[in-house]
Amino acid sequence: MVTHKRMKSSCFLLILALLAVPALLPAQSLEEKVTAHTLKNGLTVLFAERHGAPVFSTLYGFKVGSVDEYPGITGTAHLFEHMAFKGTPRIGTKDYEKEKVLMDKIATVGHDWSVELAKGDRGDKDKVAALRAELTKLEQEQKAFIVKDEIDLIYSNAGGTGLNAGTGTDQTMYIISLPANQFELFCLMESERIRNTVLREFYIERSVIQEERKETTDAVPARLLSEMFMGAAFLAHPYKNPVVGWASDINSVTLEEAQAFKNLYYTPNNCVLAVVGDVYPAKAIPLVEKYFGDIPRGEDPPIFRTVEPKQLGERRVRFEFDAEPQLMMGYHKPNFPSKEDAVANVLAYVLTRGRTSRIYKDLIQDKQLAVSVSALAAFPGDRYPNLFGFRAVPRFPHTVEEVEKGILEHVERAKTEPVSERELQKVKNNIDASYIRSMSSNFGIAMTLVEYQLLYGDWKLFKKYRELIAAVTPADIMDFAKTYLTPENRTVAALVKKAKAS
Amino acid sequence: MKRTRTQIAAAFAVAFLVLALPVFGQRHPSELAPPPPLSFKAPKPVMFTLGNGIRVAYLQDTELPLVWVLGYFRGGSLYEPPDKTGLAQLTATVLRTGGTKSRSGDQINEELEFIAATIEAGGGSEFMTATGSALKKDFAKLMEVYADLVMNPAFPQDKLDLARNQSLEGMRRRWDQPMQVSDILFQEKLYGPGSPYGRRSTPATLRAVSREDLAAFHKRFFSPTNLMLGVAGDVPVDEVKAVLNRVFKGWAKAKVDLPEPPALAERADGTIYYAYKDTPQANMFLGHLGVRRNGPDQYKLDVLNNIFGGGGFTARLMKELRSNRGLTYGIYGGVDAGRDRGAFMVASTLKAANFTEALGAVKDIIRDLQTKPVTDEEIETAKNSLINSFVFNYEQKNQVMAQAMILKLQGFADTYLDTYIENIRKVTKQDVLEAAKKYMDPDKVIVVVVGDEKKFDKPLSTMGKVKEIDLKALVEAERGPQK
Repeated sequence: MVTHKRMKSSCFLLILALLAVPALLPAQSLEEKVTAHTLKNGLTVLFAERHGAPVFSTLYGFKVGSVDEYPGITGTAHLFEHMAFKGTPRIGTKDYEKEKVLMDKIATVGHDWSVELAKGDRGDKDKVAALRAELTKLEQEQKAFIVKDEIDLIYSNAGGTGLNAGTGTDQTMYIISLPANQFELFCLMESERIRNTVLREFYIERSVIQEERKETTDAVPARLLSEMFMGAAFLAHPYKNPVVGWASDINSVTLEEAQAFKNLYYTPNNCVLAVVGDVYPAKAIPLVEKYFGDIPRGEDPPIFRTVEPKQLGERRVRFEFDAEPQLMMGYHKPNFPSKEDAVANVLAYVLTRGRTSRIYKDLIQDKQLAVSVSALAAFPGDRYPNLFGFRAVPRFPHTVEEVEKGILEHVERAKTEPVSERELQKVKNNIDASYIRSMSSNFGIAMTLVEYQLLYGDWKLFKKYRELIAAVTPADIMDFAKTYLTPENRTVAALVKKAKAS
Repeated sequence: MKRTRTQIAAAFAVAFLVLALPVFGQRHPSELAPPPPLSFKAPKPVMFTLGNGIRVAYLQDTELPLVWVLGYFRGGSLYEPPDKTGLAQLTATVLRTGGTKSRSGDQINEELEFIAATIEAGGGSEFMTATGSALKKDFAKLMEVYADLVMNPAFPQDKLDLARNQSLEGMRRRWDQPMQVSDILFQEKLYGPGSPYGRRSTPATLRAVSREDLAAFHKRFFSPTNLMLGVAGDVPVDEVKAVLNRVFKGWAKAKVDLPEPPALAERADGTIYYAYKDTPQANMFLGHLGVRRNGPDQYKLDVLNNIFGGGGFTARLMKELRSNRGLTYGIYGGVDAGRDRGAFMVASTLKAANFTEALGAVKDIIRDLQTKPVTDEEIETAKNSLINSFVFNYEQKNQVMAQAMILKLQGFADTYLDTYIENIRKVTKQDVLEAAKKYMDPDKVIVVVVGDEKKFDKPLSTMGKVKEIDLKALVEAERGPQK
């Protein structure tokens, strides 16, 4: 899952990495811990009780991500996620009535400025400068009324940790962990944010995101390669767009567009909340009802139409950059809960997980063509048909071509030679153990519950995944490889070192 | 921008509807009654010593059928010969991958991965580590392999070559990302290229390492009396003792000599080091030496750091540079405590067109902390945050154990955690002011910036004395002639 977060935090990244193969829990014990409750407005709340330390973690997600964007507004799901930290008419302001007068002006000036900016070289440079100056002046005036980042302030005082949010292709998630005696504060704060977010300081935050894009994509070879790769692998489907958005769009998207986008998707009926830790559902549910219950139900989100057409031939991208070479490959395949998705997960383990995997032993340990090769079973998202593929880092003086050839030999082998029983058992043992390990953190459990409920409508589907994995046979793997891992279904992207650069 | 006027107008109307919602029904947390007090008894690991001198920390955790193992040996890169920098990490890597006198590395990989168990080794600056995890039913098996690896590593040549080749590739790639380049240059300028804290491994120092060096480095530090071993999980203490006594049987005690490395001297003199790289932003580290850990002002510094640059969006750096000015996605800083001196530092990737403005703003924030007391609200938030979030130290039992071990190894008092909240409560605004004066010096900080000066708002020379670093030459010299 490609995710852009409100702020850097290594912990969040780690958990996401853990979930690269959907991490699930031992069926019996998780089901025993969970209490599900659905409000009349459609909000689904999942509690998992763990009465160790007096803390709880919460994670709630809206089923909206970059996949719901279209040309011109790419990056808006992520931009709005940043705006959800700016407060409400009561939180983040000293005097909302006065502040609002300025905000209305900012909306108008910011809109005109953005329209002019979007004209690019054909725009009126003087007009852009004048509007920018006017906007800056209004923003300065507004500062007198702002209680800076009051959401952060309130949670910091309460002992909250890990306040953050992340936007992916499929979903947008908000997280906070709190001491166990702060559940009511959580309910108040988050229900207010969902209902009453004010797009305060919109145009300042938009420039933060322009910097975020440069820092996390434009200057990062692996991210840039991923952007080039996705653009080639998908012709029609919006999985081709980067989560952070294209620079042109995040340079000129307006406050009104962000608000309109929010209104379409940020409804209780498009949201799942998980609360995991030292909480008692019997006491917590009345508070959830009190605070979240009167958020009005919204319209169903717009229907999603685009289906990626069948790939008719291999696609290749190659570009030069001031960095050492890297490679990405991918093949279209069905997403969860298909049988193929489970088979892809098993195959990813067989090929590249651990020091006994086939590609590690051959290309990294023996031939030493590469320093890393990772098979990815389902990317860039899980809501719609996705890709099975590889990321690889060659070892000098070996080239991306040599590494690609090496990987393809293993792809061919998977078509003709059945995986041994012991190899398959090893993979299943490891997938099982990863379920159990993911259960050792409140956040990990919350992530699992929200992902299954939000993307597939039923948190209990984690069992389905387990069943599908358990049923995978050596013949299934060969069938999968023969059907999907074909040259005409393949996309290959390579970053190669610029001829003369340091 | 393909949206039509009508679409924008429609969006506009919706936006105003929402913005114009009446205040009625909206809530603020100030309306809530204070939360009920938290009652909590902190879990504490049991400590005991085995017959051969291994100190063990043990914490039972019956929630999941898992077990975690964590071993710290004193020793690490601080003790490497300068011309073999990188030896500690190579020793750790090959200790794990190279197998033992009776089991090949590949055989160990197969045995562990079939039962979904892991063992990994690491070489830090002052500790060599070996961690493990397994399902509880496999605890004995895990420990047999673990003990064999730390006691009898084989260090075969082929696995040394593999580890070295992998590291060499990492070195080729460490110049690819501007923030990493900035970090590397900053460490060198801060501590000095000859200091064991500041020197970095190069292709030449890695190539100088032989398997005899690995064996000697291992022999020097891997002794039972030099090991603190933690076990957390769903295995009863008696079983842990029995297994550990069995697997480490016959491991002879040996005296380990750990001389104190030469003391660090402050080198920071206000110089701005600039390295050109064609990259969209300005990647900056700035700072000077910090403070020895476990010192008298540690609680004052915890509060100061939280207010300055460690407390996320409530910290001044983030508030000013990101939230108010929109010049960065993130900026972090603080006075870190280290074995000898640690570092006072600020790190950020900044908008190139405002770089000198941003640098000036950071220095102003430091000066402000040194001349005016922080506000009541700031110190209250910082202390509340540190005190109320303290309970998160106990969220996961294996972390509780690891934390207790590292505190013990670093010489913190046994009462450190029990008295932490009380000690934070005592910190005053005056303390924070004094700590800022004592441990921060905005005129002395060295600044390392990687980017393209032509894109900056003003020449760097307007901000101080500038020395240029020729990155291209540096990388070429490091790599040597390419085959």
